[in-house]
Amino acid sequence: MTSTVTRPETSAGTGGTGASAPPPEDPEGRSGIAGLLELPGQAVRAIVKSAATTPGRLSVIAVGLVLLSLVAGLVGTLSAQDKDDTISGLISYREPLAAAAQQVFRSLSDADATAATTFLSVGTEPPELRKKYEQDIAEAGSALAKAASDTTDVGDAAHQVDILNQKIPVYTGIVETARANNRQGFPSGASYLREASQLMRSTILPAAEALYRADTDKLSAEQDDSTGFPWAAVALLLALVAALVVTQVYLTRKTNRVVNIGLLVATACIVLSMLWGAVALVVQGSLVGAGKTDGSSQVDVLARARIAALQARADETLTLVARGDGATYEQQFIKLAEQLVGADGQGGLLGQARDLAAGTPGQQKIEAAEEAAREWSLAHLEVRKLDDSGQYQQAVDFATSVSQGSAAAAFARLDANLQDAIEVCRQEFLDDTQAGDNALTALAPGVAALAVLAAGGVTVGVRERLREYR
Amino acid sequence: MIRSRHLFRAAALAVVAVLASACGSAPQPVDLAPVSDAAWPMPADVGGPDASAGGSSDNSCDPTASLSPAGASVSSPSVAKIKARGKLIAGVDQTTYLFGFRNPKTGNLEGFDIDMVNQIAAAIFGSAEGHVQFRAIASSQREQVLKDHQVDIVVRTYSITCARLKDVAFSSVYYVAGQKILVPKASNAESLSDLKGKRVCATKQSTSLAKIATDPARPTAVSVDNWSDCLIMLQQHQVDAVSTDDTILAGMAAQDPTVKVSGAPMTTENYGIGIPKDQPDLVRYVNSVLETTRTNGTWAASYQKWVGARLGPATPPQPKYK
Repeated sequence: MTSTVTRPETSAGTGGTGASAPPPEDPEGRSGIAGLLELPGQAVRAIVKSAATTPGRLSVIAVGLVLLSLVAGLVGTLSAQDKDDTISGLISYREPLAAAAQQVFRSLSDADATAATTFLSVGTEPPELRKKYEQDIAEAGSALAKAASDTTDVGDAAHQVDILNQKIPVYTGIVETARANNRQGFPSGASYLREASQLMRSTILPAAEALYRADTDKLSAEQDDSTGFPWAAVALLLALVAALVVTQVYLTRKTNRVVNIGLLVATACIVLSMLWGAVALVVQGSLVGAGKTDGSSQVDVLARARIAALQARADETLTLVARGDGATYEQQFIKLAEQLVGADGQGGLLGQARDLAAGTPGQQKIEAAEEAAREWSLAHLEVRKLDDSGQYQQAVDFATSVSQGSAAAAFARLDANLQDAIEVCRQEFLDDTQAGDNALTALAPGVAALAVLAAGGVTVGVRERLREYR
Repeated sequence: MIRSRHLFRAAALAVVAVLASACGSAPQPVDLAPVSDAAWPMPADVGGPDASAGGSSDNSCDPTASLSPAGASVSSPSVAKIKARGKLIAGVDQTTYLFGFRNPKTGNLEGFDIDMVNQIAAAIFGSAEGHVQFRAIASSQREQVLKDHQVDIVVRTYSITCARLKDVAFSSVYYVAGQKILVPKASNAESLSDLKGKRVCATKQSTSLAKIATDPARPTAVSVDNWSDCLIMLQQHQVDAVSTDDTILAGMAAQDPTVKVSGAPMTTENYGIGIPKDQPDLVRYVNSVLETTRTNGTWAASYQKWVGARLGPATPPQPKYK
C-alpha cells in the first residue's frame, strides 16, 4: 500500500509520460500481487539467515515447536470431537432411524394381515380388528416420517421412502374401497382386498424391507467407523514428542544445562494427552463394540425374525381367504417358518438370536418367543388339517379367534415376545453406547488445553535460553 | 473508457458462455416431486390375449351331448367313494356375483352354481348341510383340478367345448348363456365390433377371452384370474369393457350402478358340470340329479332367486344324450 501512496510523487517526477508508461521501480520492493508472491521467499531467506546464529536457530525451533503443538492439538481435538459426534449420532439418529424403519415394516405387514382377517370375519366388521388396522396405519405413518427425516448418505433409503410415501395412500384407498363393497355384500370387495394385498406384498413391503436394510447397514458402518484409529492425530502427536525430545537433547548439549523445565512440561503435556486419548479410545471402542454385539446386531436378527413371522402370518390368513386356491401362500408359509425356527424347530433366526443372547437379559424373552413359535407351528398344522378336510369355517375360527391355543393367540404371543426382546436389546445398545460416549467426556477440550499448555511450555523454556544471549 | 467497458462485458459474457458449455447446461430449479410411476395398481397376474383359450374354435363334435342318466346309482363306484368320504368336493368360484360368490354377511358361498352343487350333495347324502367341501379355483385351473382328481366336480360357469371334452367329461347342459359386453352407461358400444382398439377384459383360459382375441375388430384382450378382477379394472379405468357371458355380466352390473350389459348375445355358451374323464358313472349320476332339478321346480326356483329379475324368465335347457 505504501507504493500506491507514494505514486503521485514519483509520477510527478517523471512528468507527462501518461498512464501507459511502466511504473517506476519501487525502492521498497515490488507492489501488489508480485510483492505478496515474493513474501514466502523472503521469509525463507530471513529464516535461513537468522538460523545461522544460535539465538536465531533457537527462535526458529521454538516457533516450529509451538506451531506443531497447536496443529497436533487441533487435529487431536477435532478427531476426538468427531468421534464424540459419531457416537452421539449413533444414539440420537442412526439407531432410532433403523428402529423406525423396522416399525414401518411391522406396522404395514400387520395392517395387511389384519385387513385379510377382517375379510374372513362374518357379518359386521369386528371393531377391535378395525381399530388394530387403524393403529397400524397410524404407526406406519409416524415411523415413516421418522425414518424419512434423515436419508442423506443412507444407501438408497431416499428412493425407498419415496416409494412408501407414494404407495401407502394408494393401499389405504383400495382397502377402503374393498370395505365399502364388502359392506354391500359384493364379491368385488374381496377382489379389491386381493389387489391391495398384492400392492402391499409386491411393492410396499419390499421397499420397507430395503429401507430397514439401508438404515441397519448405515448403523453398522458408523459403529465400525467410531471404533476406527485416529491415524493423523496420533502421527502428529508422536512427531511432536520426538521433536520435543530432540530439542531437549540439542539444548542440553548447547548450553550444558541438565534439563529445560519448559520443554519438559510441554513433553509431559503431550504424553499425557496421548495416554488419556489411548485409554479413552480403548474403553470407548470396547463399549461401542459391546453395544453392537449385545445390542444392535441382536436387534437386527430379532427384527428379521419378526419380519419373517409377520409375513408367515399374512400367508396363513391369505391361504384361508383364497379358500382352496392358496397353495402358493402355504408354500411361502413353510419357507418362512423354516427361516424363523429352522427345519428342526430349534434353529433359524430365533435359534441364532437365542445363541447370541446367551447370558443376557434378552435370553428369557427369546426363549418365550421360541416356545410361542413352536405352539404356532402346531396350531398352523391344525388349521391346515381342518381346512384340507373341508371344515373351512372351523379352520377360519381356529386361525383368527383369540381363544387359548389358537393360531392367532400363539402368533400374538410370538410377536409380543419378539417386541420385548427387541426393546431389551435396544436398551442394551443404548446403555453400552452411552457409556462409550461418556468415556470420551472432556477428551476434546482436554487435548486442546494440553496442546496450548505444551505450546506455552515451549515458549517459556526457549525464551529462558534466549535471554542468556542478550 | 466506454469502449473498454463494452469490451470487458463482451469478454465476461464469453467466459460465462465457455463455462456454461463446459457444464453441459445452465442450472435449473430442482424438481421437488419426481414421480416415476403414479399408475394405480392392478389385480395380481394380469395377462394378455389368448386366442386358443377354452378351445371354442374346435367344432369337431357335438359338445352338448352327454351320457344318459340311465343306470345311474348311488352305489356306482365313484358315487359310493364320495359317500364313504362323507363329503362332495366341488371346485367353484367365490368371486362371481349371482353364480358363485362368498356372501360377506354370512361367510357362506352362494349363487346359482352353488345351488347346483348343493342339489347333487343333497341327492347323495340326503342333505347338503355339512357334506360339501368347496374349493375356490381360478378359471384357468378348471381342467387341471379335474385331471388331478383334486375335486369331484367343477361347477363354475363352465362352457362345454370340444377342446375341453378331450380332457374332461361334462354333464348335460344346465344353463345356456351368451357372450355380451359390459360397458360404462355413457358408452354406445353394442358388441365387440364397436370396441376397436379398446382394452377388453376376460378371465384366463375362458372361451370369452378367445372370442375377444379373435374378433375382427381386434380389441386388446386383457386377462385376469377371477371375474371380479375384470369389474375392478373397469372401475379403475384400466379396461374399457368386460366381455363374457350375460350371466356373469349381470352379476357385475348388480354391483355397480354406473355400468350396463349391452347388445345381443354374440355366442351360445352351454354350461355343464365338469367331471373327471375317467368317471362316466359320476356323469350319469349328476345327469340324473339335473333331470330331477329340471322337473321338480328347484331349477326354476334357483333361477328366479338369482338371475330371473335381471335376465328375464327362462326355462331349463332340454338335455341331449348320446
